[in-house]
Amino acid sequence: MISNSSDRTRPSRALPAKYGLRIFALGYLVLLLGIPVALIFINAFQDGIGAAWDAVTTPEAQHAFYLTFVMVIVAVPLNTIFGVLCALAIVRQRFRGRALLNALVDLPFAVSPVVVGLALILVYGRRDGWVGEWFAENGIQIIFSTPGMILATMFVSLPFVVREVIPVLREIGTEQEQAAATLGAGGLQTFFRVTLPAIRWGVAYGVVLTTARALGEFGAVSVVSGKLSGQTETATLYVENRFQRFDETGAYAASVVLALLALVTLLAMNVIKPKEAKEAKA
Amino acid sequence: MSIVVDSVSKNFGDFVALDDVSLNVRDGSLTALLGPSGGGKSTLLRVIAGLETPDSGKVMIAGDDATDTPPQRRNVGFVFQHYAAFKHMTVAKNVAFGLTIRKRPKDEIETRVSELLKLVHLDGFAHRYPSQLSGGQRQRMALARALAVQPRVLLLDEPFGALDATVRKELRAWLRRLHDEVHVTTVFVTHDQEEAMEVAEQIVVLNHGRIEQVGSPRDLYERPANDFVMGFVGPVTALSERVIRPHDVEILSEPTDGAAEAMIDRVLHLGFEVRVELTLGDGETTWVQTTRERSEELELTEGAIVWLRPLDQSPVAA
Repeated sequence: MISNSSDRTRPSRALPAKYGLRIFALGYLVLLLGIPVALIFINAFQDGIGAAWDAVTTPEAQHAFYLTFVMVIVAVPLNTIFGVLCALAIVRQRFRGRALLNALVDLPFAVSPVVVGLALILVYGRRDGWVGEWFAENGIQIIFSTPGMILATMFVSLPFVVREVIPVLREIGTEQEQAAATLGAGGLQTFFRVTLPAIRWGVAYGVVLTTARALGEFGAVSVVSGKLSGQTETATLYVENRFQRFDETGAYAASVVLALLALVTLLAMNVIKPKEAKEAKA
Repeated sequence: MSIVVDSVSKNFGDFVALDDVSLNVRDGSLTALLGPSGGGKSTLLRVIAGLETPDSGKVMIAGDDATDTPPQRRNVGFVFQHYAAFKHMTVAKNVAFGLTIRKRPKDEIETRVSELLKLVHLDGFAHRYPSQLSGGQRQRMALARALAVQPRVLLLDEPFGALDATVRKELRAWLRRLHDEVHVTTVFVTHDQEEAMEVAEQIVVLNHGRIEQVGSPRDLYERPANDFVMGFVGPVTALSERVIRPHDVEILSEPTDGAAEAMIDRVLHLGFEVRVELTLGDGETTWVQTTRERSEELELTEGAIVWLRPLDQSPVAA
């Protein structure tokens, strides 16, 4: 009501600000996101749906999607468990190095993925790596193999759950947990019956972001993978590989699959969001 | 069950929250911990519940040393100022929480929950969520949740502090009646002397982490141990360098022995009570409480000269 009446009394000043902002925001998005993504879709299907389908169902493509799936299925649960425990430690406990831990968690946001990949080679590399030799002697290959790629994915997607859960934990406070304790609930019972349900939307939101990041990771995984087609090639690496070999349909079709997967995760996020808003109101 | 607090001290960094506090709470009694904020009353309650660990001293509940018992095993009911409702659970699930943790049979839980909801006048709200209740209803739910496990003692931390004045008054009277029904040893924290006087049988006045006085509401009002208690449990005014209750001052129209001359600045009619503001001969201002009848009898008006004399039974602070 109030905003309506002020719009009416001051149309000359309100209108340009109102529409100018919208046009700017929308135009920016269309230029930077909309047109490029649309072109990918168009180019993927330029030789027809059949060709695109064939391109993403070759054994190499299938293996690449399988490997991306492995990255997600391992990295997301591990980072979720770590994220919740880490957030609990940062918010609920007082210890030396708490501020350092809080700052370290953000490191993957700040460090370039390429640097992450090189760092992992320094640690796990077969010949010169810090602990890589020991693993190699025991028959475990980390770099240029799936374990290294999983480590790289986990590294870059580590902060999301922590960052989503910390503010929620702060907001709910400790009273509910104390109430549970006086009612006889032990630490684990309190966690599973009171704390976890209270932070569940924060966790879910963090999981969605972690998944999106794990699906799309390129740089760090690229460095540690060795890019062996059909062996150490995730979906993003497969796209690059196809593109460099002038298989445009293959590259664009695989891109479309990745874009669709990202879209599904984004939709999941938006399904969660309104619930979160409702919870916050309550 | 009785509660014994034996020379408990607790510091938070440099801040002394409790300084060698000892207290006995009789079985089945209703006790108020009264004092200004930061006085240590909430800390004392949390020490009894096991939510804070004392730096030194002992806590006994029902004769057992509970000092090292974690809150989970103390079997105390605790009610928080801001309800601490489990927001993701229905009212019934909230109340049932302690019993669910104790793995009681389902039908027993159901019966007990519906009994308790009736007791706190929330029958019919079992399937609502806390967000759908008013503040007063949430606090009654929290009380039912605390009572569900049949606690040895019930501890309430400023239970009505977050509620508006009308609901507060209602809940005070209701808590008093509930205590008559349930008879569980109850200790509640408040900074509101009227609330303490109205609800409690025994009041413990805490200030700067120390107990200033323990007594019945009447004791505290009529025989305060010191200036602080006198000032905290009721209104005070000053007359001839004495701290005195404003209704323990007699207004006279004639000069008398031991009476001080004063000029009336204002006469405020507050219903039954009439408040008279005056300036004494030495320039000090004071105020006196009297009744409407007395005010009319003396024809008190602004600018009139009267004489003030303390009544004999007035408590005098040391």
